[in-house]
Amino acid sequence: MANVLLARMGEVTLKGLNRGSFEIQLKSNLKYRLKKFGNLKIYQSQSRIWIEPKEEDNPNFQSMASAEAIMKAVCQVFGIVSVSLARKFEGDFESIKENAFICVQELLENNPGYTTFKVESKRGNKTFPMTSPEICEELGYQILQKFPNLSVKVKNPDFILNVEIRESNYVYSGKMMAHRGLPVGSCAKGMLLLSGGIDSPVAGFMMATRGMPLDAVYFHSYPYTSDLAKQKVIDLAKIVSGFSGRMTLHIVNFTQIQLDLYKHSPQDMLTVTMRRVMLQIAERLAQKNDCKCLITGESLGQVASQTMEAIAATNEVVKMPILRPLIGIDKQATCDISRNIGAFETSILPYEDCCTVFVAKHPKTHPHPEDIIEAEKDLDIESLVEAGVLGTEDIVIDPF
Amino acid sequence: MIYFDNSATTFVSDAVKARIIELTEDSLSANPGALHKLGNKAAELYEGIRKETAEFLGAKSEEIYFTSCATESANTAIKGYMSRNKRAGNAVISTRTEHKATLECLEYLSKLGYEIRYVKVGMDGKPVIGSLEEELKKGGVALACFTLVNNETGSVLPFEEITKTIKAVSPDTAIYLDCVQALGKMPINLSAMGADMCSFSGHKIHSVKGNGVLYIRKGVKIDPLILGGGQQEGMRSGTQSPVLAGAFLAALKEVSSEIDEARSEVLKINSYLRKELAERGAKILSPDDSLPYVLNVSFEGFESETMLHCLEIYDIYVSTVSACSAKQKKVSYVLLEMGVDRKTAANAVRLSFSRYNTMDEAVEFIKRVDEIYDQFLVK
Repeated sequence: MANVLLARMGEVTLKGLNRGSFEIQLKSNLKYRLKKFGNLKIYQSQSRIWIEPKEEDNPNFQSMASAEAIMKAVCQVFGIVSVSLARKFEGDFESIKENAFICVQELLENNPGYTTFKVESKRGNKTFPMTSPEICEELGYQILQKFPNLSVKVKNPDFILNVEIRESNYVYSGKMMAHRGLPVGSCAKGMLLLSGGIDSPVAGFMMATRGMPLDAVYFHSYPYTSDLAKQKVIDLAKIVSGFSGRMTLHIVNFTQIQLDLYKHSPQDMLTVTMRRVMLQIAERLAQKNDCKCLITGESLGQVASQTMEAIAATNEVVKMPILRPLIGIDKQATCDISRNIGAFETSILPYEDCCTVFVAKHPKTHPHPEDIIEAEKDLDIESLVEAGVLGTEDIVIDPF
Repeated sequence: MIYFDNSATTFVSDAVKARIIELTEDSLSANPGALHKLGNKAAELYEGIRKETAEFLGAKSEEIYFTSCATESANTAIKGYMSRNKRAGNAVISTRTEHKATLECLEYLSKLGYEIRYVKVGMDGKPVIGSLEEELKKGGVALACFTLVNNETGSVLPFEEITKTIKAVSPDTAIYLDCVQALGKMPINLSAMGADMCSFSGHKIHSVKGNGVLYIRKGVKIDPLILGGGQQEGMRSGTQSPVLAGAFLAALKEVSSEIDEARSEVLKINSYLRKELAERGAKILSPDDSLPYVLNVSFEGFESETMLHCLEIYDIYVSTVSACSAKQKKVSYVLLEMGVDRKTAANAVRLSFSRYNTMDEAVEFIKRVDEIYDQFLVK
């Protein structure tokens, strides 16, 4: 007997001829994400991926409680729908019964309020002498004998005991839900403009759900912003990398550029000119790092720089597509996702990524094209962008 | 490195380090409460340290209790006095410029139903005597809490005048005095001063973190904050640490020597910086007659935190209570209470010195400030 993890695949199984490459990517991502959980065997059968410890005493598989960390890590891998901790064993109905008893016992110890259950069974191995309904019926009866306080309830029971008869037998109950999506690496890489706020980590997460690997760029204005602000962004990148996998965070030394912009462009246009320069730097870094798009956390109308006119003004300076997964999403919904991925508490730490001296009191919310030409007439944009690209520090971020 | 953040904490002096190593000898490490020979030796050592500490502070041995920090001393004194002396009155007098260790205790007392009356503070950072009299005359004042040297401005409390006023109007009011920033920087003789309770901190005078002292004048009764095995006459339970008490004493000995000489050296640094900074348009917020160890300055054109990080580039360390945040501007409540306007307070930086700082450092500091203005001022 050994405990194993049963991970269910989602959208990947709908793929046609290229399904194989998605599955290979998914298994490779699982292998990377579960690196710190010991020596593991990861293999697939039909729409399931099985994760088994190679050593029996692997502490991450001993019980529901000790498996929580590895199950959470599995759930961070896009392409997985849910994961369960299952008991794997060989043998006849007697062995199924014994393992089911142990499973129910552990379940009741952790959830003393449970009083109702049902058994569900799947029999892939047709040589097994009992049919699925027979297994359910007999096992249900045996459980009722062994645990007299329990009763059967077919609709909405407190727990379902699952039995699967395949090459081996499996018994489990309950599952942890994952984020679905497609395995990261199944499409081209994107460059995420990451700030210390709530939105951009969520934007990165959302693109990664569609299989997009990420690099990120952050614009640092030390000493106007502190190293704590930079550390906060590194921490956020780490959180996002839990889902997107290894990423490189490009930290642009933006101080001098920001000072130049401040000196040579009108106050009310500062936000627009600054964002135009930022996007151009991001695009150059994206090209250098094999990224095919830029990703921002912009949401229409949220702040002065996110009105349609301001977005148009920043959009026109780059050729690459800019993906804005939050563009039509309400702030509250973004906050909910942020909480769900564990980024919110870090995002709301009080270290600002832009000093108030650079924030115009009344920024232009509807800049006209001629305003932009006027605002940039004294600026050598090309040299500012070049300086930004050259003054970049790269940090490789892993989730563990 | 130029360290002008000595009011936050100080580096540990060599003498203290050496003393800590001596006191961690196996033969001295027994529990002072143990009945065996080793325990007796540790107890003797501890009591010796206590006696000597008391002598340096002008107090009796039994008036000195070792705590973990000045915040614990403040909590014990303020809460303990009000808890024990319920019939002394329902009001506590203080100012809004106290350290948080005091203010949070007062906030706690106010939740318990005590009345907290705040005395007005002038531009010089000192309590206005007329306001003090007025609050005292309302009656029922059990306790008055003040700070001898303000940690943000260096403003020195006119303690004699305050005591005289309190004793004249409300003779039964007990006095708690936060002496943290004064220790080692001005002579302190507790028996002569007449405060009823005082707090001190070790790490502000080049000891390690984790040791403080509470003085309770003989005859003053308070309830202990920490209950347990009844150590230190039941006033502060918890196994006594000769190492930490010894570290405090070693630091105290050092800073108590040549107080005047050290102060005159620091005064030179302070005066030089005041003059040079004022010439550059900075506003000096520390009152003229404040203790020279603290200099609060507002730099035109730089928010406090930005200036702090600019200086950090040059390996110069200062502090600020204001944080640069677009959403929430946190400004020093001490400066606001003194009547400093919000904009000036938002640019305030505290330079705080120790006897180990030098004139060369002050000159270097000014040079760097000039460079920062050239390079980083956003006009």
